[in-house]
Amino acid sequence: MDPQELRKQAIKDRLKEMHSLPALPPIVSKLNTMMEDENVTAHQLGALIERDQVLTGKLLKMVNSSFYGFPQRISTVSNAIVLLGFNVIRTLIVTSSIFEFMQSSDIGLWEHSLGCATAAGILARRMGIKNPEEISTAGLIHDLGKIVIRSELPAEYQQVQDIVAKRQIPMREAELIHVGLAHGEIGGWLAAQWNLPERLVEPIRHHHNPEETPTFKEPAAIVHFSDILIRAVGYGSGGDPWVPPLDHNAWSRIKFGKAQTQEVLRELDEKLTELQDFTMEIHQMSTPGK
Amino acid sequence: MKLAREVATPEGKVLCGPGLELTEDLITRLERSGIGVVTVEGHPVRLPGELSISQRLKELEARFSKVKDDPVLRALMRLIGEYWVEQERR
Repeated sequence: MDPQELRKQAIKDRLKEMHSLPALPPIVSKLNTMMEDENVTAHQLGALIERDQVLTGKLLKMVNSSFYGFPQRISTVSNAIVLLGFNVIRTLIVTSSIFEFMQSSDIGLWEHSLGCATAAGILARRMGIKNPEEISTAGLIHDLGKIVIRSELPAEYQQVQDIVAKRQIPMREAELIHVGLAHGEIGGWLAAQWNLPERLVEPIRHHHNPEETPTFKEPAAIVHFSDILIRAVGYGSGGDPWVPPLDHNAWSRIKFGKAQTQEVLRELDEKLTELQDFTMEIHQMSTPGK
Repeated sequence: MKLAREVATPEGKVLCGPGLELTEDLITRLERSGIGVVTVEGHPVRLPGELSISQRLKELEARFSKVKDDPVLRALMRLIGEYWVEQERR
């Protein structure tokens, strides 16, 4: 193995023993087992999940938020499974504890993630993509790798931040220099470890280099451009203050003209305003007495 | 100030519709129902920490500083700026 590969493997080995991030909810392995049965129904899966009231509360809050944009309130988990598909629900369950951690430790990244989910949903629906909620969900978790670096590799994370500030280079470049692996690759690797579907894993892994995705080039292009768009409008914080470079081959898969882009900006602005209510509620919930 | 959107509780119960004038009385009643945030038409108040349009445009340009040679991204930056200016005028 060449030194670069060895370095990457060493990081992955460290991450396999994740200490600081919350463990996966115990329900995940039960769900995976049930999912192996082709005849399992949304109702049966919903009933299992609803035994955990706290998890159910968090799940319903997420599925009712404006980045999925359902016009009517979703009130049961089985309904959520029917409308959003099981991949989305399983992903939200698997990543729920990471998101709580993100909200409490890096609100800027949390907002950026919600914003990217919103933008990805808008783009996917406009492009007529099947299951746009999956693309929204990929947008939501695209920066998973950043929170992992922050919590599991704190010394490296600090050094990356210092390099960004001193050399005025983007976070991804600083990660490649200092850690040897960028957050996209780490996030994609983690998502694969959690058995999330490739349709989600690939856009996470390649959200900065979307044309390197073997199969899911359109979803990857959408998450790539959503990340750019949400940084462009200044919503949340992606770890450095700059709009990342656009992959023009990926852009050719989207290629909105002036009028469509204006419509997207309008829709995005409306949905982000609604999201601020969502985020503010979280702020209020976590600061009792305010 | 007029409501730009309907106001609903987290459970989905609609309390009032868009277009309603936001009076002190209505604000009190909404607060009592647990509503903390409403959306109004136009841009009548500047929230604490909110920047002026010229500051926002300056920051917008700074965000695009590393990609200013990209014609697609330059066009995007212009469209965002134009959208913000149009919103400010309302």
